[in-house]
Amino acid sequence: MALWIQISAGSGEPIYAQVVEQVGQAIARGELAGGDKLPTVRKLAAELVINPNTVARAYSSLERAGLVTTKTGSGTFVSDPKLRKSDGADVNILTERMDTLIARGLNLGLEAGDLTRLFERRLAKYVKTPQQQKEKNDE
Amino acid sequence: MSRHPNSRKKKTMNETVLETHNLTRYYGSAAAVDHLNLKVPRGCICGFIGRNGAGKTTAIKLMLGLLEPTAGSSSLLGCDSAALTPAIRQRIGYVTEGHRLFRWMTISELENFQAAFFPRQWDRKLFAEMIEYFELAKKRKIKHLSNGQRAQVSLALALAPKPELLIMDDPTLGLDAAIRRQFLEGMIELIMRQGRTVLFSSHILADVERVADRIAVIDKGRLRASCSLEEFRSAVRKVVFTFADSPPAQVDIDGLLHCRRSDKQLELTLVGADDFEVAAWAEAVNALEHHTAKMNLEDQFIEFTAPANRRKLFQWEET
Repeated sequence: MALWIQISAGSGEPIYAQVVEQVGQAIARGELAGGDKLPTVRKLAAELVINPNTVARAYSSLERAGLVTTKTGSGTFVSDPKLRKSDGADVNILTERMDTLIARGLNLGLEAGDLTRLFERRLAKYVKTPQQQKEKNDE
Repeated sequence: MSRHPNSRKKKTMNETVLETHNLTRYYGSAAAVDHLNLKVPRGCICGFIGRNGAGKTTAIKLMLGLLEPTAGSSSLLGCDSAALTPAIRQRIGYVTEGHRLFRWMTISELENFQAAFFPRQWDRKLFAEMIEYFELAKKRKIKHLSNGQRAQVSLALALAPKPELLIMDDPTLGLDAAIRRQFLEGMIELIMRQGRTVLFSSHILADVERVADRIAVIDKGRLRASCSLEEFRSAVRKVVFTFADSPPAQVDIDGLLHCRRSDKQLELTLVGADDFEVAAWAEAVNALEHHTAKMNLEDQFIEFTAPANRRKLFQWEET
């Protein structure tokens, strides 16, 4: 089980949002792969010492985002990446957030090349670049 | 897996297990509890919050029939608090503020004494496991235990009968972080059994935020809010508006709790205003920009219960 969630109560960030964010991170990093089963609501609630309804709410939110699917009677599973759909609105939100980051970077005095390298380095923490993939295959 | 912990008992989900009707109690000429109308549905953990002296303990004692109301009434599990039968009492657990236990008894004697009140459902195995987990010897006398250990015994005594309704009056007052967490774990554990309900008061709002799914806010004896935690979290917000010049002198926006102003900014604490209303107001008063500041439950509680003309205790003047 590669799911380590750290809840920080009193931080101002709602607890269900912390669960959503961290499960989302684990999926994006590949720590949770398509088809992996998430812990049951009750198990995660007991483990994190948070209200079971909060976990249920986080799972519904992940489901609406298309990251997980619930099969009645058998549990909640990470959905197949190929079947995930992102609509235009999601992409727009993402674009706006990137704009904010680019503006901040430029205000810090970074150049276009610095920003590109920074982005690639961070991206490599989530997905392997074609170069890394090739090296891995050669081993 | 059932996604909603109580979905199997759908028909009891909306049932009210604790209800007060205009519950009022005077001490002399002062109302400690003033026309309290509280409803707690089955299956939730309800955080009962209020400042010192707000009336939490009095309200809890009234609900349990340990104090007589000056006016109004209350009921637990459908039974009037003034006439709780032994059969109803067996379904209710109560943890007092300060964990007052019989000092001369050993843990073992205390267990037997308590178990006699819950003949059918006392879980000796659970009690033994908890006492062992806390590394306490059952033959130790209560008077020789530390405050924290007494609280742990009290938690084990509260959970062993698996009460349908557990009421705890500030159970974690003065306890260290580890023992506080054990109380939270205990509440979560209990709530995951079908149809159990917990009402607890606390001043540690991060704890309330962590385990509660409902809250009731009492202020000067009156109920100020009773809703899901989520509703409260999204209802109370602080929005900062920035202006090109001085902010408008008159602030007329629905749900205004507090208003603080500086040269070019207005900081408003609002209840129940949604994004749309906030944006519409910002446009109407020609604000350059506005954003919602992040608040945790504690910030929200302080803003929500502060008097309208509140000033900071210490005013810092720039010279």
